[in-house]
Amino acid sequence: MELLLTVNGTVWEVSARPTARLIDVLRDQMGLSGTKEGCGEGECGACTVIVDGKAVNSCVMLAVQALGKEVLTVEGLAASGELDTLQQKFVEQGAVQCGFCTPGMLMSAKALLMANPLPSDQDIRTALAGNLCRCTGYKNIVAAVRAASGQETVAMEVPSEKEELLADLAVPGLAPAKLDEGGE
Amino acid sequence: MSTTDVVAPATTDELVAALARATPMTRLLAGGTDLVNDIRRPGRQTDLLIDLSHMPALSYVRHDGDMLRVGAMTTFTELQADPLVHEHAFCLERAASQVGSAQIRNVATIGGNVANASPCADGATALVALSAEVTTLDGSGHRATRPLRDVLLGSGRTALTDGEAIVEFAFAALGNEHRSAFAKIGWRTAVSVARLSMALVVRFDPVAEVLSEVRVGLGAVGETAFRDAVLEGLLEGRPADEESARILAEGCADAVRRSIPGRYSLPYKERAAVGLAYDAWNALRICPPCEPAWG
Repeated sequence: MELLLTVNGTVWEVSARPTARLIDVLRDQMGLSGTKEGCGEGECGACTVIVDGKAVNSCVMLAVQALGKEVLTVEGLAASGELDTLQQKFVEQGAVQCGFCTPGMLMSAKALLMANPLPSDQDIRTALAGNLCRCTGYKNIVAAVRAASGQETVAMEVPSEKEELLADLAVPGLAPAKLDEGGE
Repeated sequence: MSTTDVVAPATTDELVAALARATPMTRLLAGGTDLVNDIRRPGRQTDLLIDLSHMPALSYVRHDGDMLRVGAMTTFTELQADPLVHEHAFCLERAASQVGSAQIRNVATIGGNVANASPCADGATALVALSAEVTTLDGSGHRATRPLRDVLLGSGRTALTDGEAIVEFAFAALGNEHRSAFAKIGWRTAVSVARLSMALVVRFDPVAEVLSEVRVGLGAVGETAFRDAVLEGLLEGRPADEESARILAEGCADAVRRSIPGRYSLPYKERAAVGLAYDAWNALRICPPCEPAWG
């Protein structure tokens, strides 16, 4: 079937099967291969694009569902050839390692900043909960989003695993637990 | 596959016309977060796909007398942010906020959640506890309303006929004297399918200090979300105290034992059920926080 889709401000006319997913049309028909397919079932977020201002997984959305809507992909962030502030901050903060999750991370973060220009760290973490990264450990990604929002990048008030474990072990009336770390 | 036809009705008349064409191979597309992968599975034949995502008239939350009415195409993001849902159906708000990720919540709908009939559907668990009714529309333009518990038949099975679309959920809006809560346990903290979930609704008379109208919805315990009437009866008329929390937890663990006897996951799940029940109970905030006495 013929589809008219608005992607990154341009109207595209593409021919696709009715059951084609949005990610298939973006990558295969439009050549917008910045959008990645990881899990293919809406778990990992590598395929995240923005549709009408909201982050969505393009691997569990059919292209027909985007009819009449505005689709923004990672290519749309640097449409003029210059990096978006968010992308620039990802570079500066070292928020990229292998890079496979990066387009999805950027689009989830972009959707967040479009709706909430001054997000808290918790807002950022909630917005990025559906984007898996197996390299960075997320810390620099959260810092980059925070920096892109113009907020100072300070140490986050998130308890470390060690602190969480100690809190779990706490017994009222007893001295706080200590971790034996093998003298290292 | 190639013979699939897609229609995207924008009005109720167009929807009725589309539903009139439905066959057993027709699928209704709400948010698509489960359906898209399902229809693309090898061997799946879909003759007609009715895309409901262009039906703004099916996306709303409104107060109607004593009832709250929720359009079937309302997304979890919308439910999570809706002031009426916050005030009159808190367990539904909490359930909505714990569905998938932001990306999923932005498109997944309450109607799709119920029609997909997953045993662990968070939205369905909350709606069951709210004693929701379901209104459907069919290809002859006929509207029918029945209790949600009559629609959910089992895992992936509903009483919906071909060409019957859920258009609305309605339930009694909870008032100031009611409390509700939702708790869930998954494989990880966020973006997780429930391994166990509980929605609680109670009426708490602060003068008499007793519970009434107790409703306990359990998800991912049986073939579909259900209310545990026996457990509700045990709590009815009881004070809001530690013993009530213990009864709730024991009843929840019992329900798990009945539902999956001998399953490898039973030793984990019956213990998890106790923790889950205490989470839900404490979220009601009707007595000081209680903790299970792990035996």
